[in-house]
Amino acid sequence: MGAAAPKSDLLQGTLDVLILKVVALGPIHGYAIAQRLQQMSGAVLQVQQGSLYPALHRLEKRKWLKAEWAASETGRDARFYTLTRLGRTQLDEQRANWTRLSTAITGVLGTAK
Amino acid sequence: MWSSRRRFRARDELAFHRDRLIEGFVADGMDRKAAERRVFLEFGNTAALEEASRDVRGRWLNDFVKDGSYALRALRRNPAFATVAVLSLALAIGANTAIFSLVNAVLLRPLPIHEPDRLVQITRLTPEGRPANVSYPLFEHLRDHVQAISGAFAHASLRASILIDGEQEFAAADIVTGDYFNVLGLAPGAGRLLGPADDVLSSAVPAAVISDGYWQRRFNRSPSAIGRTFTTRDRVFTIVGVMPATFRSVRVGTTPDLVLPMVLTISDSQRTEPTNNSLKMLARLKPGATVAQVSAEGQTLWRTFIEPLAAKVPGGLRAEVRDRRVGALPSPDGINDFRSDLSEPLLILMGLVVFILLLAAVNLSGLLVAKAAARQREISIRLAIGAGRGRLVRQFLTESFVLACIGGAMGLALAAWLSTGLTALFLNGRDLDLSVGPDWRVLTFTAAVALTVCILAGLVPALQAIRVNLNPALKRVRATGHGRLGRALVMTQVAISMVLVVGATLFVGTLVKLYAVERGFDGNGVVAVYIRSTGPFPDERGAALVADLVARLRVLPGVESASAAQVLPLSGNDWTRGIELPADAIRPGDSSTAFNAVTPGYFTTLGTSLLAGRDFDARDTASAQPVAIVNKSFARYFFGTAPAVGRRVTSLKVPYVIVGVVGDAMYEDLRKGFRQTMYIPSAQREGEQQPPSYKYLVRVASGDPARLGPTIARLVGETDPALQMTDAVTYATLVDRSIPAERILATLGGVFGVLALVTAGIGMFALLAFQVARRTNELGVRMVLGATRGSMVGLVLRDVGWMLVPGIALGAGAALMVTDLARGVLFGLTPTDPTVFAVAALVLTVAALAAAWLPARRAARVDPLVALRHE
Repeated sequence: MGAAAPKSDLLQGTLDVLILKVVALGPIHGYAIAQRLQQMSGAVLQVQQGSLYPALHRLEKRKWLKAEWAASETGRDARFYTLTRLGRTQLDEQRANWTRLSTAITGVLGTAK
Repeated sequence: MWSSRRRFRARDELAFHRDRLIEGFVADGMDRKAAERRVFLEFGNTAALEEASRDVRGRWLNDFVKDGSYALRALRRNPAFATVAVLSLALAIGANTAIFSLVNAVLLRPLPIHEPDRLVQITRLTPEGRPANVSYPLFEHLRDHVQAISGAFAHASLRASILIDGEQEFAAADIVTGDYFNVLGLAPGAGRLLGPADDVLSSAVPAAVISDGYWQRRFNRSPSAIGRTFTTRDRVFTIVGVMPATFRSVRVGTTPDLVLPMVLTISDSQRTEPTNNSLKMLARLKPGATVAQVSAEGQTLWRTFIEPLAAKVPGGLRAEVRDRRVGALPSPDGINDFRSDLSEPLLILMGLVVFILLLAAVNLSGLLVAKAAARQREISIRLAIGAGRGRLVRQFLTESFVLACIGGAMGLALAAWLSTGLTALFLNGRDLDLSVGPDWRVLTFTAAVALTVCILAGLVPALQAIRVNLNPALKRVRATGHGRLGRALVMTQVAISMVLVVGATLFVGTLVKLYAVERGFDGNGVVAVYIRSTGPFPDERGAALVADLVARLRVLPGVESASAAQVLPLSGNDWTRGIELPADAIRPGDSSTAFNAVTPGYFTTLGTSLLAGRDFDARDTASAQPVAIVNKSFARYFFGTAPAVGRRVTSLKVPYVIVGVVGDAMYEDLRKGFRQTMYIPSAQREGEQQPPSYKYLVRVASGDPARLGPTIARLVGETDPALQMTDAVTYATLVDRSIPAERILATLGGVFGVLALVTAGIGMFALLAFQVARRTNELGVRMVLGATRGSMVGLVLRDVGWMLVPGIALGAGAALMVTDLARGVLFGLTPTDPTVFAVAALVLTVAALAAAWLPARRAARVDPLVALRHE
């Protein structure tokens, strides 16, 4: 028992790379990450808090992200995440993986038509 | 604390997110209430979310500390539960630790010396492979020729009378050859230790080393002790050093005051006769050498030693050449007499206490299950709002861990106290010192035991609690599963008790049968007196003193008869001698027999009947015709049905005429039966006549013979100032001392059996009482519908049967598998004796019925009207 399974329609494992990508743009807190993902995906991807925070903490524990408390745009303290060097390597790797995979899948689906 | 701040912040982070969402909705024009509701729905279960976030962070230790303090608070709130649980644990862990301490001291602990694993004993071996003594010439032969050893020494223990600072006192001494301390690799505590240069006959200044204990006791650790002198065996010894405080002796259990060089202390015959076997030999293996190598070399050397000797002796030393071998035994614990005596009963006891531990674990499990049942609703709620099941299991285990820690600590304290009593029981009146203090082995053992109990006891209730079906539990419907689990636990207790009760019955039965053995003498009203002297006696004076002492004892008020003997029945000593029978005997020629030298009146004092001929009397002096009395077995074995009186037996070239036949008496061991025995008058015994080598027997007309102790002590001193009484024991005690292992097993086995019965009984009582209370309503309905009071009792008894019968069957099965391990200590019973199992089952049934008595009565007295209003 424990962490609930991700309820989003995201493919297993893709949430991590999306978070890494968003965080790569600069220090950002959890709420803003969810907002950014929604915006960037044209409101297709909606990340539930139940998936987002465990994922953030997991990435932090793997030392791909680091976090610190700082004043947010509203003046209230929020927890800001930044990418570590390790996280950046991971992002590059996973992005390359994804590109390869999606090209392959698109290729297969295209041929079937 | 860092962890709680961290959790607080994790919550903050979520709150921030939630509030921003609400603000967003409000900004979009939504009513604040509606926005909060929407966000709440979207957020879902915040508790689960927090748990999930936390699980990611690996906060196991934090939970552990929190659960631990929670468990402690829960225990404080429930002192009755805490007391019962902790006490039963402490008792079980304490008993286990105490017995393990003894096992450790007797069987596991090596000597505190340099590389004890390389110490071996090189020794003559009996045909059964047990170590015997070696002679000084044999020791020298082996020491000088075995290649696989780097050094060797011989050792003997004795009590020496020493003259120090003008005072005469007795001191325990180790007598050792020159390489003793080198081979052991010991450094002096003060001064120097003995070396090969001290162990020579021509030593100008005989040197001695004292123990740390003696240094403290006699000299108050003064450095001036070194250089002091004392006299023993007509030699002046100078103290040259002190042994290290950590080391006592190579012979386990002894605490010598002095260490003396061997050649200066042993007699000429001990030093030169190749078959005067009175020493132990130990050696250090060369690096890389094995015990087997030493054994092989030793055996070859033994042949080159004994065969030339045998060729020169008339009898040819047949037994020596034919039956004896020389071999090496690993001896990291030195010379350990306890090992052979105590290892079997100790290991059996260890096995028994493991069952006690299981019982305590099951008991604790039962208590925890009951407690968990009371908390079922709380647990259900926690599960319903998203607590992890693994998390709950950890909490249960932490609770039993806390209990096990407290129980373990108390058990350790209890063990220290128990081991003192146990050690006394095991030493059985012997003047030995068995240090059973806890070391790292004992502490590790206790920790392992406590941990095992914690896991065994905690897992069942934990798994039970999380298997709960949430719905009925939340609706306050009584759980029924608990009853079944409780019954299984009680059944397990019955099974474990069965094993322990079978063990107790076997051991008590063995003791009863041993006491019932026909001994051929009557020890009631007899006291045995042991004496010692401060110096050797000339032969003539010695013989006269023995007679004088007996005469004085005989006229003490209240004394019926008195006598002396070299060997007393069942006293742990025996004396075997070679004899030669005449040609007209059934078994003529060389033979051997149990032997004894006694004063007139010995048979009367011990109540052994005279069957033919006469007792020894004043006629049988040293110069008169040598006479002998033989027992019935002797007469029948050597002469058949023909009369033995008047026949001749030769021993050590002296021809004895048999003047009497007496009944058989048990000398060696209650288990071994009667041996052929030959008695001669003490006045006709050749060689040294030392009064202390005799044991004196006094029979009183009535009352406790031990009351004469002080009177006899005074009388011994009056007879000769150089004599001292060391011990006066009743014959009953002497017999008890001959069967120490059996007595220990019967006593402790019995205690464990009763403990098991009480535990299982209480467990059953608690369960039945709970069931009856729970079913009051149902019982009332049954009564209204016409059930009789008898059938109410029947309901309870059926419950008992369901726990008792499978429990006994299971326990009997388990017992059958383990009792065979105790075969060696049983007497007159087999490990699978059906009577024993039947008795054990009966005892358990009676205990179960006693436990069921109150609940059954309560069930029978249910008042239907009250019962129906119940609840």
